[in-house]
Amino acid sequence: MTGRPSLVSVVDDDESVRESLPDLLRQWGFAAEAFSSAEAFLASEVLGETSCLLLDIVMPGMSGPDLQQELTRQRRKIPIVFITGHREMSRSPLLVDGSAAGCLVKPFSEAALFDAVSAALRWQILDP
Amino acid sequence: MTERPATFRARWNGLQLGGSGATTHGFTTDLTSILDSVEVPIVVVRRDLTVAAFNQAAEDALGLCLPDIGQRPRDISAFAGSAGLEESCTEVITRGVESRIDVRADAAWFVVRISPSTSASDHVAAVVLTFTDVTAFRAAVDQAIYERECTKAILNTVADPLVVVDADQRAQSGNRSFYTMFGVSPDQWRRTSLYELGNRAFDCAPLRTQLQAAVAALSLEQLRDLRGGGHGFRPVEVDHVVTAKGERTFIVDSRPLSFPGHTERRALVRFHDITARKQAQAAKDMRSEEELRRSEAFLAEGQRLSSTGSFSWKVATDAITWSEQLYRIYEIDIGVPVTLDALRARVHPDDLGLLENVFQQAGHGANDLEWQYRLLMPDRSIKFLHAVAHATRGQDGQLEYLAAVQDVTGRRVSEEALAKARSKLANVARVTSLGVLTASIAHEINQPLSGIITNASTCLRMLDTNPPNLTGARETARRTIRDGIRGSDVITRLRAVFSREEYTLEPLDLNDVTREVIALTLSDLHRNRVALQSDLAEDLPTITGDRVQLQQVILNLLRNASDAMADVHDRRRQLVVTTERDEDDQVRLRVRDTGVGVDPENLNNLLEAFYTTKSDGMGLGLSISRSIIERHHGRLWADSNDGPGTTFSFSIPSRPTASLTQPR
Repeated sequence: MTGRPSLVSVVDDDESVRESLPDLLRQWGFAAEAFSSAEAFLASEVLGETSCLLLDIVMPGMSGPDLQQELTRQRRKIPIVFITGHREMSRSPLLVDGSAAGCLVKPFSEAALFDAVSAALRWQILDP
Repeated sequence: MTERPATFRARWNGLQLGGSGATTHGFTTDLTSILDSVEVPIVVVRRDLTVAAFNQAAEDALGLCLPDIGQRPRDISAFAGSAGLEESCTEVITRGVESRIDVRADAAWFVVRISPSTSASDHVAAVVLTFTDVTAFRAAVDQAIYERECTKAILNTVADPLVVVDADQRAQSGNRSFYTMFGVSPDQWRRTSLYELGNRAFDCAPLRTQLQAAVAALSLEQLRDLRGGGHGFRPVEVDHVVTAKGERTFIVDSRPLSFPGHTERRALVRFHDITARKQAQAAKDMRSEEELRRSEAFLAEGQRLSSTGSFSWKVATDAITWSEQLYRIYEIDIGVPVTLDALRARVHPDDLGLLENVFQQAGHGANDLEWQYRLLMPDRSIKFLHAVAHATRGQDGQLEYLAAVQDVTGRRVSEEALAKARSKLANVARVTSLGVLTASIAHEINQPLSGIITNASTCLRMLDTNPPNLTGARETARRTIRDGIRGSDVITRLRAVFSREEYTLEPLDLNDVTREVIALTLSDLHRNRVALQSDLAEDLPTITGDRVQLQQVILNLLRNASDAMADVHDRRRQLVVTTERDEDDQVRLRVRDTGVGVDPENLNNLLEAFYTTKSDGMGLGLSISRSIIERHHGRLWADSNDGPGTTFSFSIPSRPTASLTQPR
């Protein structure tokens, strides 16, 4: 963790998540940006700088997995930690086939979040 | 008369009866007197065929006169029509043998006996012609022949064969029908036994015995018995008689005949052809039997299918007649005589009073009765019956009730079951909604919880830094509180939806009600990628209703709209919720989707219970929704959009209503 801090982007349609998560991430020393939709994230300048993506699964318009596919199509290897309020979704095949770095079910603890983000960043480093 | 002796003499003077010693004057006078006194005309013709003499009767009856003496008969005008008279005389003169000849004189007929009168030389000197008047006899014979022809003509027009048989039951003579019917000629069959007719069909014991008796009846008593009153001969029906006109059925009747002076007995036999009548009757029997059988079968089947029995009850005599189906309904063996007491015994004790009341009304002659009662069967099961009775007057003027009794147990049970199922399913639907909602609820609660945890963690971290980031900590603490309130709101709304069983009427703002539902379902809608647009009118009047029930309706409409768009991929999944003030102070809510739409002809079915176009639905939601709206004196309906999708709407009166209609 030298030089510029890793950028963690948050994409969630829930305002309270967008408000609370970046502050906590910044407390840990990450850079953090929040987007209310997948479309907004894809259009943003930080798309190429994002080291880890905290991604809501269910959103109006483009969903979390949709965005994941789009990133794969664009050959952008951004580790993704899914966030969902629906416990059953954490067991979705989409999320456990290895293409996602992790999945957090709301409400999650500070430690769980930190572990997931750390693992995702490690996973990015290990990934060739 | 005074000159008569002279005339006698003159008529007999020409007669010289060859040298008879008896021809004294006195004797001759006596003889001629005798001849003249005979009423039979007598004429004497000589060997040379000239008239020699005649008596007074010949003058009177034949019109002979004195100048005719010495004339030949053919020259006498009285014999002008008697050809052959001279020839006969000649023959008798030649052969000396008496002969007879029929002669007509004017309008009269005579039988003339020509007798030879021999002389001493033993040759015929003259012939004596004695005229017997047979005019009346011949007329009688002619009349008899005429009468017989008339009778024959009449008999020949009789369609039934008639034949007269002799003592051996052989055919003597028959009418035309007899011969044509049996294909025989009079000559062929005369004296042929009756029993050979019609392929021996008549050769049967009852006929033989009776016919023999008829022709053998000798005493007058027997005859009278046989001929009188038709008791003597019992008509015999003979089937399958082979005739020239095909197979026939006859009733054979007979009466004995007797003729004065005839010792031989005969009998008239009549063959009454009843083939056509029998065929017609048979056809009619078959028809009416068939019709009766069919109508009975229809009735029985109808009664069986409709579980409806019928009975008649004669009030005066308490005589009761039941249909088979009614026996089945009462579960009494078919045919067992039914009494009022037996009937009462089956009736549910609680309904006996009701039944007595009906009997009383019937006793007072009520025209139409209708009542429902229950039977308590031996196995303690209960049957619900619905009865309708109508009063009639029988032919004897007696009051009689005709009644139909329908077993409505099945209907009643299914109605009750349906009512139970409805409430159960309404509950199921609620629970199902609950189940589906659980995810949403969890989401709704986890959302603020997640915020609270994250914010609280951030707050702690900010306080832990050196120096503490108090501004940031305050901000995150405020957010923590806000999220806590959000969570609490969710709990409040959920309690509002699920904690109450009873319906509560309260003044409601439909917009508030709608917003709460939208808040609850939003995440669900997002998950299905449905974009919701709400367009709520500002000036809505207050309505009176049950918040939870109306929310259920709105929730159901939103879920349906969302489901309808699940398969839409080529356009926006747009859901528009609109509230507005309708005419007549109604408040209307519309839920418009851009889903797959509904066949216009299915639109109305949609609101019926168990009708669904979804493979996994039970089709109850809309039905329950409708009943809720109707309980609010409102209306729920569906319209196809101009573009894709369907719009469901309900409207509710804004006027305060005292109560909800009781659920059915």
